Amino acid sequence: MTDGETYRVRMTGISKRYNPIQTLDNVALTLKRGEVLGLVGDNGAGKSTLSKVLSGAVIPDSGTIEIDGKAVSFSSPADARAAHVEMVYQDLSLCDTVDVAGNLFLGREPRRHILGVPFLDKKTMHGLTREMLDRLGIVIADTRLKVENLSGGQRQSIAIGRAASFEPKVLIMDEPTAALAVAEVEAVLELIRTVSARGVSVILITHRLQDLFLVCDRIQVMYEGRNVAERLIGETSIEEVVNLIVGRKFSARSARHGNETGVSA
Amino acid sequence: MSLSPPQIGPSSTGHTGSQVSPSRLRKATLWDTLLANGSVVSIALFFIVVCVVFSVITDAFLTAPNLLNIVRQCAPLLIVAAAMTFVITTGGIDLSVGSVLALVATLSATALQAGLPWPLVIVLMLLLGAAIGAIHGFFIAYERIPAFIVTLAGLSVIRGLALLITGGYSIPVDPSSFFTVIGRSWFLGVPVPALIALAVLVLAYVVFNETPFGRYVTGIGANAEAVRRAGIDTRFTTLFVYVLSSSAAALAGIIVTARLGSGSSNAGQGFELEVIAAVVLGGTSLFGGRGTVIGTVLGALTVAVIANGLILAHMSPFLTPIVTGTIILIAVWLNFRLFRGAARGR
Repeated sequence: MTDGETYRVRMTGISKRYNPIQTLDNVALTLKRGEVLGLVGDNGAGKSTLSKVLSGAVIPDSGTIEIDGKAVSFSSPADARAAHVEMVYQDLSLCDTVDVAGNLFLGREPRRHILGVPFLDKKTMHGLTREMLDRLGIVIADTRLKVENLSGGQRQSIAIGRAASFEPKVLIMDEPTAALAVAEVEAVLELIRTVSARGVSVILITHRLQDLFLVCDRIQVMYEGRNVAERLIGETSIEEVVNLIVGRKFSARSARHGNETGVSA
Repeated sequence: MSLSPPQIGPSSTGHTGSQVSPSRLRKATLWDTLLANGSVVSIALFFIVVCVVFSVITDAFLTAPNLLNIVRQCAPLLIVAAAMTFVITTGGIDLSVGSVLALVATLSATALQAGLPWPLVIVLMLLLGAAIGAIHGFFIAYERIPAFIVTLAGLSVIRGLALLITGGYSIPVDPSSFFTVIGRSWFLGVPVPALIALAVLVLAYVVFNETPFGRYVTGIGANAEAVRRAGIDTRFTTLFVYVLSSSAAALAGIIVTARLGSGSSNAGQGFELEVIAAVVLGGTSLFGGRGTVIGTVLGALTVAVIANGLILAHMSPFLTPIVTGTIILIAVWLNFRLFRGAARGR
């Protein structure tokens, strides 16, 4: 699969209606192998719903999803996971009082059987964890540290590392850098680059526009449930993206928000 | 695939993917380990202090017969506290263990009186305990009713059953029955109940620390949703910890009946609180996610040593609950204050 013809993900005509609100209106999304796509838009623009459709948490009213050219339909997150679509949940996926290795291997611990009874193979587990952390460039001194003693960035890295270790084709991250210190943001962004260099396609949802320009190949802007623009990262600027996110709102209600248009212009 | 140093835009901080410079990274030291296990360290200190105090002020305390007597007497407490550690670590609680103990005491005495062979009685009683635990677990894990309420109802109903069966009387066990061996005899110089307790504790320690099940018990207490998303059947795991606690209570009931030679529906009054006190004293968090079997053993032994030592020191036995309660409060307070750095939150 060396050409750009087959998309890793191709979503077309996705619509979802929550009673009076058309949350998604005929939305399309494409993603190539190893590509990092920034999905932006104001609150309520539909980016979270769109990502939930892809991760199986929301079932769309209409539309098709293709993965590597094959049509799929997800009725649960388990279906999406089976198709190698992983979603990184921010704080929902870690057990504070379990150590780093235990969290990375939660639910699939290496085991050795003695008289048919499964025992944790802790040595293998810590060894594999060390390898995995090194491969992804995650800096954690001791795999026996409990997750509660890690910084926010390290925790986020563990959550991403855990998702990445399932050999996903697509990794969806919702606000992975929110509430992190500056240096920690760098570490998480670096991790996103590393993961995508390994051929994983990444969808990054964020409000931190400067992050997009550091890791994304392409940006897709949503507004009130519709795609409004798609830009290659080299062909746009932070000002333009801001305009795309908020611009229509201003033009529609320019009379009332006239003083603010100056900011985004 | 190789990780190149980030050549990124104007906001690059110069860090190469790490958030801390290497000089600040270090492996956990002995002190860190002590702090991380602060709750166990503090109860160990308490245990030592209590033992030293009673050794000094009484002659009889630090003698082999007395120490063996202590472990014999607190065997039921040790057994149930070990199982209760699992329950409390998931963030649950089992208030019914005292009642289960009483029901098993009366039913086993009744069954032996009716002429059932003792091995069958033991098996039936353990199965009864498991069944009661499964019923509790069903309502807690599958029907999402708080454990406190389910087991409080269990406490009432099961004690009521025991009273109903016996009419409030004690039922004697034939002292010549082999059944009494479980509670009274000695093996290799050690009381049999103590050996049973030791076996249960070793088993509990291994299961808690070395098996996936033990890991999931801690995980459920810390973040049940994360464990569920990792594809683990959290509901069955939760149900199973109540099967463990009720089965352990049944085993304790068998031992108590065998030792006393009678089954009383009043056995194990307040036993559940004693068990919970031992577990909490051992540093297991009532909020879940944090528990150790070692701490529980030390907690149970501390409670037992205080009761024994006060009697040997010719003090009023009524002081026991006062001293025990005070020590629980101080130990937990020390955990919060002294070892706060090790355990954030909670």
